[in-house]
Amino acid sequence: MENSMSHQELKPVDTKQIREMLSRKKGKMKRYLSFCAHCSLCAESCFLYMAHNKDPQYMPSYKAIRSLGKLYRKRGKVDRRFLNEIKGIVWRNCVLCGRCYCPIGIHIPSMIAFARSICRSQDVYPQLDEVSSESWL
Amino acid sequence: MLMYDFIGSKLVSFALIIFVLGLIYQGVQFFKLTREKEWILPPLPLETKPKKKTVGQFIVDCLASLKGTLWKTDPLMTIVTSVFHVCLILVPILLLGHNILFDQSWGFSLLSLPESFTNVLTVVVLVCAAFFLARRLFLSRVRAITTAYDYLILLIAVAPFLTGYFAYHQWFDYDTVMTLHILAGEVMLITIPFTKLGHMLFFFLYRFLIGSEYSFARGARAW
Repeated sequence: MENSMSHQELKPVDTKQIREMLSRKKGKMKRYLSFCAHCSLCAESCFLYMAHNKDPQYMPSYKAIRSLGKLYRKRGKVDRRFLNEIKGIVWRNCVLCGRCYCPIGIHIPSMIAFARSICRSQDVYPQLDEVSSESWL
Repeated sequence: MLMYDFIGSKLVSFALIIFVLGLIYQGVQFFKLTREKEWILPPLPLETKPKKKTVGQFIVDCLASLKGTLWKTDPLMTIVTSVFHVCLILVPILLLGHNILFDQSWGFSLLSLPESFTNVLTVVVLVCAAFFLARRLFLSRVRAITTAYDYLILLIAVAPFLTGYFAYHQWFDYDTVMTLHILAGEVMLITIPFTKLGHMLFFFLYRFLIGSEYSFARGARAW
């Protein structure tokens, strides 16, 4: 496990690959991000938001904006520290249950799933010892 | 006066053209980015015809179905946002002053509501906007995703109504307020297709055309 962790941390981030991935789904994802009204009406549809005493960081729109939104804003020019920052948002704070509801019709799970794909492409995903620890929950 | 003439004539045409072309562009892009949905399995046929409902049962069923919607989770916001959006569309179209201008420019006019009524509806829009502003300022979950851009968009949406209200009541210098009113309307028209105000169009495209669990219709297209 230690070897795996060190491998993850040492491997340089392939920003070109990230940019390519972002570009591939730009039409759909940028529109989703651009037309989000930031109304927060999606909040109560997320069971994790409700289970965490309505903590805004579990709100579906917050998770999408702070992960994929930031990736687009930075045009994929991110470092490993940034990817590790959004790791918790996309892997821990969302279970991709697909229950989130947006009145405009934005499909938030697809945005989180895409952010996960980008993280995974750079070997950023939770390790077994992380997810089994209490701090993960 | 030159400025007023420019803003009140040429810039209006420019704003309308950008608005219409912008919406067409976004619509075309949407259809380019999506494809017709392929049904892997044919939709299940209805085995039995639905029973005819009485009016009472229909109302009860409708009210029951609202329990699973935003009417249950956030009824105040749902009411305010519904009223806001209806007024936002209807007031400018059904305003007597605007219809006189439509008639003068294009030779046709729509139904006009009494001025006293549109005045009340304008106040309703402003009160709703104040509610949205208060949510942005004081509700932690909204504040968490709010940026300066959100305040700017709210201002763009509300400015035509605020200046229109001032103009109707002839507060401040009338010519200046009217110029600002026309300018505010033009800014709003130009920004609709290219900013988050574009949800005016995308709401219908996403909720009716894209097939998903929350679609209003069956959803004929997929990304």
